[in-house]
Amino acid sequence: MMEFEGCPGSKMFDFRDKDPQEETSAAKVKSQLRQWPIQLHLISPDAPYYQGADVLLVADCVAYALGSFHTDYLKGKSIAIACPKLDEGQNIYVEKIKSWLEDAKINTLTVLIMQVPCCMGLLNLAQQATQSSKRKVPIKSVVVSLQGEILSEEWA
Amino acid sequence: MEEYLNKGIKEIISKFPQVADILNEYNIGCAPCSVGSCLLRDIVEIHNLSVEDEQALMAKIAKVIYPDRDVKTPAIKRKPKAKPQEIKYSPPMKKLVDEHVLIKRWVALIPEVVDNMAMESEQGRHLIQEGVDFIRFYADKYHHAKEEEILFKYFDENLDILKTMHQEHEKARSHVKAMLEALDKRDKKAVAEHLIAYRELLTEHIKKEDEILYPWMDRNLSITQIGQLFSKFNKIDEQFADAPKRHEEFVNMLEKNLNRKELRK
Repeated sequence: MMEFEGCPGSKMFDFRDKDPQEETSAAKVKSQLRQWPIQLHLISPDAPYYQGADVLLVADCVAYALGSFHTDYLKGKSIAIACPKLDEGQNIYVEKIKSWLEDAKINTLTVLIMQVPCCMGLLNLAQQATQSSKRKVPIKSVVVSLQGEILSEEWA
Repeated sequence: MEEYLNKGIKEIISKFPQVADILNEYNIGCAPCSVGSCLLRDIVEIHNLSVEDEQALMAKIAKVIYPDRDVKTPAIKRKPKAKPQEIKYSPPMKKLVDEHVLIKRWVALIPEVVDNMAMESEQGRHLIQEGVDFIRFYADKYHHAKEEEILFKYFDENLDILKTMHQEHEKARSHVKAMLEALDKRDKKAVAEHLIAYRELLTEHIKKEDEILYPWMDRNLSITQIGQLFSKFNKIDEQFADAPKRHEEFVNMLEKNLNRKELRK
């Protein structure tokens, strides 16, 4: 009988044996964040930095796992973060994403999630909002492994 | 070898005809291209072969060009996210590929339409006129306009591959012009010849775009440009309103009627 291993989203892993990656001095890696706030409950979809923008919708854990998040993904884009597993009031999230599409007329939406199954919920919220929106935009989904590798990057 | 990487493929093939067969082995169909000005270097880059296939291809070509000596073949610069096994288009490119599906459905019917062409009857001429209108309005004004007026503008239009695409669009237009003239004169043979020539041209043209040009463009467009293209294509769709739907109905009707042989006289 297969041993029950619990939720993959909260299962414990220890990566301390992993060879440390070549480090760059923190002072040299500039933040690419161009706005505040960033949490999806706190942002206003009408904020000027969302108008016509390429927007990232990012699961909370992604920026910790993905070493090159700022340079490879955040640069030049607007952002909101959320956790599809723990956050409450996710119907508000759907309305805010819909407002990005219809009111802020965003250019594209990139959803960055972790590989754990619960994270798919964030992509589902984006798709739910798109389905109910009169205006569509290209949506890309990026799945990040627990150790910060890009597992897939495709158009949703 | 470096010298030949910077030569046009037509020049290479005319000097070393075996190169055409080698390219064919790797599904690179440059041999029948009438322009052939693409550089060997660009052809290898644009087809996005695996590293192993690229090395094998270059080694075979080097052996043909320099049969008596071992030549080191330089690696071609490539984009990092190559996925040759499965083509996944961005949403705007997917729109164009979906439009190709309807054009291919019409093009596939051309031999049967030609076989059953009844130029002497009003109904027969009307059918051909509708077929030509499909080419003029759906394939050209609606679809090729998206490419020429929007998509191609994101790239250097002096690139050989884009020049080739433009030339093929022009060639298609010249076939349409000839079809209309022949239809006016009720010249059945000439209408048939130009329809068949159009079919051959478009079949190859669409294959090139679906399998080579669009994936290459997708790899080179930024996400901002993808969003802009999607939005611009949507505006074109709004302008054309239900016209594309009417063209789809024409193809549906034709498929249904040809299957029932109702058009046979």
